[in-house]
Amino acid sequence: MKEISEKELKKLSIDELTHLFVDNINEQNLKLIEGIEFLVEEDFDNFTQNLNYVIETNTEVRIKKAFESKIFKSKLMFSKADRLKLFNKINDIKNIGEFSANKMLLYRVVFPDEDFKLQILNILKSLKLISNQLTDAIKFIGSDLTKAHDICENIKEERRRMRKEEWQLLNRLYNYDMDYLSRTFLYLKELIEGVMMMADHIKSFSEYIQFLTTKYLIFD
Amino acid sequence: MVSDLTSILVIVLIILAISLAFAIGANDETLSSLVGAGVIKFKVALLIGGVAVGAGMFSFSFAFVAKTVGADLLGEGLTYTSFMLLTVLISSIIWLVVGSFAGIPLSSTHSLIGSIVGVVIVYSFLQGGVNPETAFNWVKLGNVVLSWFISPVFGLIITFVLFKIIAKTYLSKLKGLNQIENSEKIFKWLLLITVIFAEIWVGANSGEALGILYGLLDNGSLNMGQYLFYAFLCGISSCIGIYIAARYVIRNLASQMIDSRPSEGLIIQLSTALILMVATLLSLPISHSHVIVFCIIGMGLAQKKEVDYKGLGKMGIYWVLTFPIAAAFAGFIYFGFNLFGLT
Repeated sequence: MKEISEKELKKLSIDELTHLFVDNINEQNLKLIEGIEFLVEEDFDNFTQNLNYVIETNTEVRIKKAFESKIFKSKLMFSKADRLKLFNKINDIKNIGEFSANKMLLYRVVFPDEDFKLQILNILKSLKLISNQLTDAIKFIGSDLTKAHDICENIKEERRRMRKEEWQLLNRLYNYDMDYLSRTFLYLKELIEGVMMMADHIKSFSEYIQFLTTKYLIFD
Repeated sequence: MVSDLTSILVIVLIILAISLAFAIGANDETLSSLVGAGVIKFKVALLIGGVAVGAGMFSFSFAFVAKTVGADLLGEGLTYTSFMLLTVLISSIIWLVVGSFAGIPLSSTHSLIGSIVGVVIVYSFLQGGVNPETAFNWVKLGNVVLSWFISPVFGLIITFVLFKIIAKTYLSKLKGLNQIENSEKIFKWLLLITVIFAEIWVGANSGEALGILYGLLDNGSLNMGQYLFYAFLCGISSCIGIYIAARYVIRNLASQMIDSRPSEGLIIQLSTALILMVATLLSLPISHSHVIVFCIIGMGLAQKKEVDYKGLGKMGIYWVLTFPIAAAFAGFIYFGFNLFGLT
């Protein structure tokens, strides 16, 4: 992502700062997902590189500071608290991603079989999709709440589908004939749970956007 | 001796009336929506609101609600004695204080009119030559009581309809948060104008203090010049009441309204102001708080929000009971005065 100077940051509006922030966080999220895909392919170098990128990148901190100083001084009336909450919820995505990345770097796992790999890639594809959709939904809050609401509905639907995949994966993991190293088992279990934790946050975030829609939109 | 006592009593009544005007200002929460929306600085809002209430109170003091309370409720040829007015004040103040301590929301208007009815009934029974049937202007009294039921219902209907019209023609067309926020910025300035308009009518319809003074004018204790001077003091007193004492109530309510929309506040305040304006022009003292509660309900119904019918029913019982209890209480106090020859 293109570096942006302090001066340029100060010029941006609250809406623009939110968009920049969510783009930044989404980019890191996609890096994390791509990193896990490298792990599935047993490309450990790229896996480590991607996850370290997520851990080490902190450009969002500058955006956050610029946003906070702007929102406290802003003359926005009733949506001030909600905009701040929205921003913090975006920040939580980064926290979850960073937490998962740190955990995943603890061990280099080898996946049990091709079917397992395929299914993991499937839920990663879904995670990528809902992460992008959430970014779009957040960007639509300012201009079209109905559209944001509809996107969130799609996110919730995709997350439901992911949940089914999660159970299948866990079921598969618990029913392997061979005795796995306990570390491998634990790692894979936590990997699945980490991915789903992110999906759950995105789902709860989309529910919050839908709450904002019902709060602010007036239907005749 | 009697003349001295009467003069002292008149002075006491004037002081109490001015204090009551202060209390009316101190208890006025109309500015909350304005402060909550952050339209203007808090102190400026208090000053503007105070001046509007004071101006409304003084401008309409020569007739209208003050005349209804101070003279027109009584039957032909009957005027208040100073002790009757004192009893009315004591009764309504005690009943309101008890209500406040018990946490019961009461209307000062209902309490005042109830007290007047109680005092006049006892007066007509105890004084020879006064027929209880002719002691009241029944048409006026009937209209006043009827307005207490009609005004909240009209408040609800006007708010409901006004919201539906504005929602259909404008608010529902707003798509994004930025557009909503920008349109609310315009609404907040309209809210400022509406609140000033509402405050004027709140002052104009507050007949409690001026009604007492008008009673003194009607029984000859004050001449018109004196009456207008004290009415002016009442206006200033209510203004000071808002500036000094109402700030706590307003700040407290405003903090709960920070995420409420100026457009909603505008519709509620406009409906309330219209009801108060019509009632004032018809010389009918109505309860501001009853009207505003029903306007809020109207807004809730228009937005398909749930209404707390249980709480509303409880409030309704207190509202209905205020009038007879205040009447009985005032009658009892006035009877006590009579036992000591103070009529």
